[in-house]
Amino acid sequence: MTTSVIKRYYDGLAEGTIQATKCPTCDTVTFPPTTACEKCGSFEVEWVELSGKGTLEYVSHGAAPPPNPAFNDLAPYSYGHVRLDEGVYVQGIVTNVEPTPTALEELFQRGPVPVEADIIDVGGLPVLAFKVV
Amino acid sequence: MGKLTRPVYLLGAGCTKFGNLLETPEIQGLSIYELAAQAARRALEDAKTDPREIDAFIIGNHMPQSLNMGSLYSQFTKWIGMEHKAGVQVAAACSTTNAAATMAASQIAAGVYRKVLVVGVEATQNNPKGPFPYGREPITSENMWMWTDYGVNQAYGVPQGYDIFPVYNGLMALAYRRKHGLTQEEFDRGMMELCRTKRLHGSLTPNAILQETLEEEAKRLGFTDLYEFWTSPHNPYIAYPTRLRSLVTAADGASAMVLSDADGARAYDGLPVELLGWGISVGDLPWYQEDATTFPADVIAFREAYEMADIRPEQIGYLHTHDCSHISGLTNAELSGYLPEGKGLMYAAEGRLRFDGDRPMSTHGGRHAFGHAWAASAGADTLEAMDQIRGRAGKKQIPTPPQIAVVHTHGYAMISTVLVLRGGM
Repeated sequence: MTTSVIKRYYDGLAEGTIQATKCPTCDTVTFPPTTACEKCGSFEVEWVELSGKGTLEYVSHGAAPPPNPAFNDLAPYSYGHVRLDEGVYVQGIVTNVEPTPTALEELFQRGPVPVEADIIDVGGLPVLAFKVV
Repeated sequence: MGKLTRPVYLLGAGCTKFGNLLETPEIQGLSIYELAAQAARRALEDAKTDPREIDAFIIGNHMPQSLNMGSLYSQFTKWIGMEHKAGVQVAAACSTTNAAATMAASQIAAGVYRKVLVVGVEATQNNPKGPFPYGREPITSENMWMWTDYGVNQAYGVPQGYDIFPVYNGLMALAYRRKHGLTQEEFDRGMMELCRTKRLHGSLTPNAILQETLEEEAKRLGFTDLYEFWTSPHNPYIAYPTRLRSLVTAADGASAMVLSDADGARAYDGLPVELLGWGISVGDLPWYQEDATTFPADVIAFREAYEMADIRPEQIGYLHTHDCSHISGLTNAELSGYLPEGKGLMYAAEGRLRFDGDRPMSTHGGRHAFGHAWAASAGADTLEAMDQIRGRAGKKQIPTPPQIAVVHTHGYAMISTVLVLRGGM
């Protein structure tokens, strides 16, 4: 039996690690991991671990009910655009920024701020979120 | 990208009223079959084409959960006059009809078919009711977005809290503010003007879901100052700094178009509209990276469309950009070269994006005012561009009909599709 790339990613998250795939041909990191390089299309990819540290470029919020009902108990939540230190971009929940216009504007005025991974549990699934440090 | 080896023309297009099958008088009580049939019939009549002249058809839909059906090619064939034709179903979400038009054009240019019918149909407000094939009942907004989001990254995006509103609106809007040094009030006022333009256009378009101008709505709700209304609890932030009235209005609807080779265009006694070229590019989440106002897929789609059609942005006389997120519609108008970068909100405030301005855009009202019936919307956008080129856009006709129009759509999530149209042969 083989293990799905997706399961390996979530198993890694459950253990506190953030896994990606990297192309040995063009050095591009594909995150979250898939079966092919997102730049050159090569299927020869290797697993690498990311730090989870990065920069929160922007953070907004979702005031409407979340489209995924698994997040009903968490909503409303802040949601940000993050550049990881390894150079890849990811979007996710930001756990320690209040989802209010005042708090979001305040953070916008501060400009990009450092964040780190804050892995949370949503309905039994580990979810990659971030927190401002 | 190559070029078409033979010219391809749009002879006709049609769409239904965009609204709610349970409430909107013009479409109330219709089945999903009859909704598609209404659009197909209008397109065929506009093209002055007998259904027997059609060699093949392409039909599309994004959200089968609200139809409870697949295999639309066979399920609709007897309703749209296409029995025993070559037919297929395609899906490109909100780009469906225009992406299908490029496939039809390729088939025609290859000499395989002479005339092709494209149909898009969508119900976003209701789904089949119990065992009754003629009955429908409302669906919740949560279900509508959950089903719509089946078109978004299901391995990582949706399971980890993806939400269209911050991703497609709030984050991009913050990036636009930072890029162009806008305060929240400057941004808010500009977005109000942009919405005012869309709502004006919707009020002049009989098939639009919203017929009320923004000023009329404010007055109805007791406001004399439009900005006071815009910043009131009637128009809350949905994804900071984006407010409710900068977003999509979901609808039920259908659209269709007829594409033809040059022989068919020559035999047509109206004004054919040539499909000069197109660009298509797809991308998975995240749609943007270091510049959160620009999708790489859009950059590629516009560039390839202009190259294929051999046009420059200054030749464009009418532009529609996908605007279920008003900020995304604006950034793409700037990316297209139709508007100068960072000036879109000012152009809106100056009335330059109106049908009678010097940079007319989305004169049917766009996704907010015309409404958005996912797979059907791109066809409605193309119909509006054709109407403007042909000088038959009614009360919101551009005073000097444009010769070249560009129609950009985003199909969830994400296929950027750009069509370049030109009037005449």
